[in-house]
Amino acid sequence: MSRWLVLVAASCFALVALGPTVAMALRVQVADLAALDLARGAGLLWRTAQLGLGAATIALVLGAPLGWLLSRSNLVGAQALRALVLVPLLLPPLVLAMSCMGWTTWRGGLATAAIMGVGTYPLVALYVARAAERIDARRSDAARLAGGLAAVARVEWALVRPVALASAGFAFAFAVNDFAVVDYVSSLGPKHPVYADDIFASWRSGNDTSKAVAAAWPLVALTLLVVVPALLVVRRSPLFSFEGDFRAPSRVDLGAWRWPLSLLMWSVVAATALAPLARLSWEAGGGARGFELATLGQSLSKALANGRANLQASLLFALGAALFCLPVALVLGHALARSRRLLALGTTLVVLPLCVPPILHGVGNLALWNRPETAALYDSGWMAVLLQAGRYAPLLVLGVAAATAATDRRIEESARLAGAGPARTLYGIVAPLLASPLAGGAMVVFVFALRELDAAILVPAANGTALFRLYNAVHFGRDEMVAALALWICFFVLLPGALWSLFSKRNMGALP
Amino acid sequence: MRALHQRLAKLCAALGLALASCGSDPDLVVYCSLDQEFAEPLMREYQERTGLDIRVEYDVEANKNVGLALRVREEAARPRCDVFWSNEFAMVVALAEDGLLEAYDSPSAASLPPEMKDPGHRWHGFAARARVYIVNTNLVDPAEIDSWDDLLDPRHAGKVAMARPLAGTTLTHMAALHEVLAPGEARRFLESVERLSREGRLNLANGNAHVMRLVSEGQCAFGWTDTDDFHVALEKGAPVQAVYPDQGGIGTMLIPNTICIPASAPRKDAARRFVDWALSEEVEARLAASRSAQIPVRRGVARPAHVKGPGEFEPMRYDLRAVGLSIRARAAEFQELFLK
Repeated sequence: MSRWLVLVAASCFALVALGPTVAMALRVQVADLAALDLARGAGLLWRTAQLGLGAATIALVLGAPLGWLLSRSNLVGAQALRALVLVPLLLPPLVLAMSCMGWTTWRGGLATAAIMGVGTYPLVALYVARAAERIDARRSDAARLAGGLAAVARVEWALVRPVALASAGFAFAFAVNDFAVVDYVSSLGPKHPVYADDIFASWRSGNDTSKAVAAAWPLVALTLLVVVPALLVVRRSPLFSFEGDFRAPSRVDLGAWRWPLSLLMWSVVAATALAPLARLSWEAGGGARGFELATLGQSLSKALANGRANLQASLLFALGAALFCLPVALVLGHALARSRRLLALGTTLVVLPLCVPPILHGVGNLALWNRPETAALYDSGWMAVLLQAGRYAPLLVLGVAAATAATDRRIEESARLAGAGPARTLYGIVAPLLASPLAGGAMVVFVFALRELDAAILVPAANGTALFRLYNAVHFGRDEMVAALALWICFFVLLPGALWSLFSKRNMGALP
Repeated sequence: MRALHQRLAKLCAALGLALASCGSDPDLVVYCSLDQEFAEPLMREYQERTGLDIRVEYDVEANKNVGLALRVREEAARPRCDVFWSNEFAMVVALAEDGLLEAYDSPSAASLPPEMKDPGHRWHGFAARARVYIVNTNLVDPAEIDSWDDLLDPRHAGKVAMARPLAGTTLTHMAALHEVLAPGEARRFLESVERLSREGRLNLANGNAHVMRLVSEGQCAFGWTDTDDFHVALEKGAPVQAVYPDQGGIGTMLIPNTICIPASAPRKDAARRFVDWALSEEVEARLAASRSAQIPVRRGVARPAHVKGPGEFEPMRYDLRAVGLSIRARAAEFQELFLK
């Protein structure tokens, strides 16, 4: 790989993704660090960690069996389930919480953990599914001969367990950085304040950001402590080698358990993926005042008419962010995968923007780009693109790195021996090999950019998005129009994945 | 492969042009934390009337006005904002005290009551919201409720709500109580609120609109909210009534919108003309007639029958500037109390 290419890509990444964090970190004053109330902070952090553990446990319990069954068994409708299971992960968390709270009166910390677990179990399911697909057939055949289905399950669980636990770590990281869901769910009954609440309150109550940045570091550290080892575990557990003669495992016949397990898994996915959408549709169609299809149609038309410009802006910015990330992620992800020395440090730096509270990323962008020499950029739509690319480029970089690690290094060596230069090797050999992970990763960036709100709040160019409009409209209650706009957002969030599932025969392979 | 590259290049070029065109230079930039739903028609009308190209940037509800105030502060070195229209006053007072606002004595402000004006003309208050109890009449008799501390009444345990006093008008309200009540009384009230919340006997919602929803839906009997939220519930046909508390006591708190011009606003003339229009009696009347039912601070401004006006209830007497100056310290104090 050309050092120049890596340098250019790393510079782009540093500027867009790490620059805002550095700009913020430079603002921290010693006095604000000294003024941190450590005893109170420790209490909040402990409660936050408990919430994260609860969410991770639920994600693990729901996701691990589902992931294994999806990839390794003859579960009925596995293909459709695999697409549907993504829905809760892609829905904006507050929209998920709002729909769940419509069904139940359950409140408090446990309810929050359950919602966060439901929102993140698809991650565990997808990671476990990928890991289970990489178990050599001979291992599972040997287990089956030795002890039947139970032995297969035991052996394969032992093999995928590190990946399952690591992906539950990602669920933990998602849960501990959220505060809107916790706040919303504990509006009735005892309050359940968390650490992210404290950061947001510090930011809201202050006239400068130094205090909020100072308050953020324990949570950033906690997130990094969980996410970085989890990523390394995931990366180091390919379970097979190109050097050997890997044999793909055949699907396990569940026998008499096939239909009961299928029914159970379909119920889980239906309750977590379809119920929120059903709830929003019901509200858009009139809700408690009487559901009517005509009302649903009218609400959708009205929401589209009112929010058309916002939806267009959202789609434009998200598409821009995805395209911007593609070349940077290809170079950087490839370099990260091929460098053993820089793996831990590189992974930490790449993952950092995801571990920083989004509001700080937003303020950091203000501090970094709102200056005379970049005025034209700051005032244009490019600012929204840079903001979202900076926040979500790590997902694509890590996805490319994981996919690169699973490709045979010898192909690149052959190209090099045949006289291809680094750039030609990268774009002519590596990129086509990674076409699916690149497209899938770009889709992930697109989707996350589309549902971004917290970081976008402060950046003027990003204020015209559909989610921004939705959150303002939610303020005065959830009438038909609000539910319809939420449905439109869900539609565009889910559309790329749905198209992929329908028209592509290849696995997306976008997981970091 | 080449065709694919060409298509990608064309897509990127089109996207680049579209993104660059998002940043055309307007005639006036207004940062507005009045709810988008209420402000949009007014802004559109002003745009049509003047023919100016106005860019209005709104805050999300979760930010409670802080996002835009922070932007005015962050952008001080390279200002973009010409007018900051805030839906309350505390953050604006802080901006004024830090020298970030321009003095402008608008002719439209002449008829405003003195307590609604900064002596240095750096900001002006108009069209207010009142802090009221929203009461579900199916669950409790509104006549039973009349004081700022009725939330603590054991008869209503578990059925009362307020927003956490960490932001927005609830923070401002609680800061004002510290100014007008006897020393220590407001603090004791908040300590009780926090204790009752922990015991599940008082619900801390994530905003005033949420309190309104909890009461409208009958999940709570009554709670603190703002009059604009109350009127939305009323308009939707919820069985609710507003109680203007402490009549004969400390009075009901009014929280005005404030408008100001950042010190280094790039388009000052356009900004001044906009401020003149926003502070006019006509706009105050429009805000009173809108769904937000804002209360005019001037006598004689036209308003619908359901919107109370000056003289129809006893307002809380407090110094906007003093409350605004205390807000940071109070926020930190409440944060320690409620986030632990």
